[in-house]
Amino acid sequence: MTCRAASGLASLLILAAVLSGCKVVNTDNQIANDQGPPGGPPALPPYPMRAQMAEGDRLHTAMDGAALFSNRCGACHLAGGMGTNLLTKQQMAVGRPPAMGLLTNREDLTADYVKAVTRMGKGAMPRQTRVDVTDAELDRIAAYLGKGK
Amino acid sequence: MKLTLPPGLSPQGFDAAVTALQGAVGAGWVLTSDEDRDAYADIYAPGPETLWGASGAVAPGSVEEVQAVVRIANEHKLPLWTVARGKNLGYGTAAPRMPGCMVLDLGRMNRILELDPVLGYCVIEPGVGFFDLYERIQADKLPLMMSVPGNGWGSVLGNALDHGIGYTPYGLHAKNLCGLEVVLGTGDLVRTGLGAMSKNHAWNLFPFGYGPTWDLMFSQSNLGVVTKAGIWLMPEPETSLELNLDIPQAEDISWVVDTLTPLKLGGIIDQSIFIPSWLGKMVILGQRKDFWDRPGAIPDWRVAELLKEHDLGYWKVQIRLYGDENVNKAKAEVVKAAFRQHLDTPMQEVWWRKGDPTNIMDTTLGVPSAVPLQMGDWVGGKSAHLGFSPVVPATGRHVLSQLRRSRKIISDHDVDFYASFTIGGRFCNNVNMLMYDRDNAEQVARIKQLFNALIADAAAAGYAEYRTHLGWMDPIADTFDFNDHALRRMTEKVKDALDPNGILSPGKQGIWPSAYAAERGKALA
Repeated sequence: MTCRAASGLASLLILAAVLSGCKVVNTDNQIANDQGPPGGPPALPPYPMRAQMAEGDRLHTAMDGAALFSNRCGACHLAGGMGTNLLTKQQMAVGRPPAMGLLTNREDLTADYVKAVTRMGKGAMPRQTRVDVTDAELDRIAAYLGKGK
Repeated sequence: MKLTLPPGLSPQGFDAAVTALQGAVGAGWVLTSDEDRDAYADIYAPGPETLWGASGAVAPGSVEEVQAVVRIANEHKLPLWTVARGKNLGYGTAAPRMPGCMVLDLGRMNRILELDPVLGYCVIEPGVGFFDLYERIQADKLPLMMSVPGNGWGSVLGNALDHGIGYTPYGLHAKNLCGLEVVLGTGDLVRTGLGAMSKNHAWNLFPFGYGPTWDLMFSQSNLGVVTKAGIWLMPEPETSLELNLDIPQAEDISWVVDTLTPLKLGGIIDQSIFIPSWLGKMVILGQRKDFWDRPGAIPDWRVAELLKEHDLGYWKVQIRLYGDENVNKAKAEVVKAAFRQHLDTPMQEVWWRKGDPTNIMDTTLGVPSAVPLQMGDWVGGKSAHLGFSPVVPATGRHVLSQLRRSRKIISDHDVDFYASFTIGGRFCNNVNMLMYDRDNAEQVARIKQLFNALIADAAAAGYAEYRTHLGWMDPIADTFDFNDHALRRMTEKVKDALDPNGILSPGKQGIWPSAYAAERGKALA
């Protein structure tokens, strides 16, 4: 998954780096999606389906951190998402590889930092309410992402 | 954020209301910490967030719990501010018009109750997001295509009820609503249209009722809390053909609109046609400082250079045809012939056929995305945006007049010009995105001045906004001045009749109940 995600990200970065005004005539969309238009930027990645929420009491969730992250944070933080795109730029600006734009690839996040940014916001990241993500859900997401010391 | 109490409520009264709410929905779903109040604030607030500060939030999980919350609010005189998912970015996010309101957050009510691929409709609760509905349609492999707005993070119903727009043939989202279930200000429960008959089979299919039809009375409205509704969905087309064309000059928008409107009204083009200016393409390529590193608006000569360097036109016309392949081919010839009268450049054509993959930003193929929000990064810092959105007749004359006036005012305030015109039928929604860094007080002050100047100018010229931020809801309502604001007076009579304590979203779109009439004109941006 990481490999595919990284390749999608690389495509996005190249897209961001080159220009979008290429001229394509009668390009079949399948080819465009597989390879990108000839002479133009590579294609954007496909929509990443999120994990589904399980039934049950969200205040005492039984879901695991990975699934919760996918569902609650996935609108922006999966491959090609808004948060991923902005973080990729930020990570590259400090000399780190583009794949570090995906939070799941980061080794330097701590659980407390994840919780703080979720609740307090940071840059373009809005504060998340406790309906967006409950404390119990955030505990598990933070534990899942927080691989740093 | 510290606790702000609503007018007339004591701290003891507030505590009693909170205790009662906890009893109704469970203690874990009544959110009243300082941190909670911050989370419900407007992250793009043009000014201090406390101007529109909530006292907290309550999140019911069912219609019965909504009714209980409304009854408690009446008993304790605790005003509520209803949000579906609270992602109305640029228009106030989840924050209330009147400080001290308790946000009634319907985000937990997120069931997809019906999803019918044969007649193309669903019945959903307000907490269902565009991502949720899209994924369900994909997972069940249903031949349906959604219409999604620029920001797909929000609620399907919330967006439709706030008159949101998308870019497919179903782009006028409020028109897709059919059959609403509503909790009134007294806690009573009604269903509109044919839903007024118990177990009616066509509730979400027939757009009228028996007698007066009330569905849209609950849109951009504080007359009730919509707890579920029918939404029409487009059958997935066999093919879709995208025709792209860069339009060189700003004032070309006049002939572009005069070319497209007859095609739209004549049934050649079905979609709501989105025509963004060049900055819409630049914002995802980098930050403003990468292209212009001085304060003030990017001057015209530099804009010309940038368009050349990046091979962009001033406008991007992106037309999408939906349906049978042969029909689309024939329609494309009509469209191309119409444009050839003005421009020799061939249109870029991209086919999509049922079963082809889509990408993460294919919003015109109904894929929800939050990526367009990246535009905020253009100005950097704590980026935010406001949308100034007048509605103009879909003719070159009106569009050009609005463009010239708003472009000059925006330029006079040293702000970058980023506009789009979306032809929805006989009218265009002209959205002018005004981007600013919330941490820069001077920029915030300038944006507010600019916004006020734009409202005054558009109203004087005979154009109104279709939607606005909390801080301008009263000033915009003031511009609807026919016969001494007769429509507002009528709506406020209805408001008082349906919601005698005025506890539902006081001040929404400038409609104030008698109970809080003294708050009109306060907490402006």
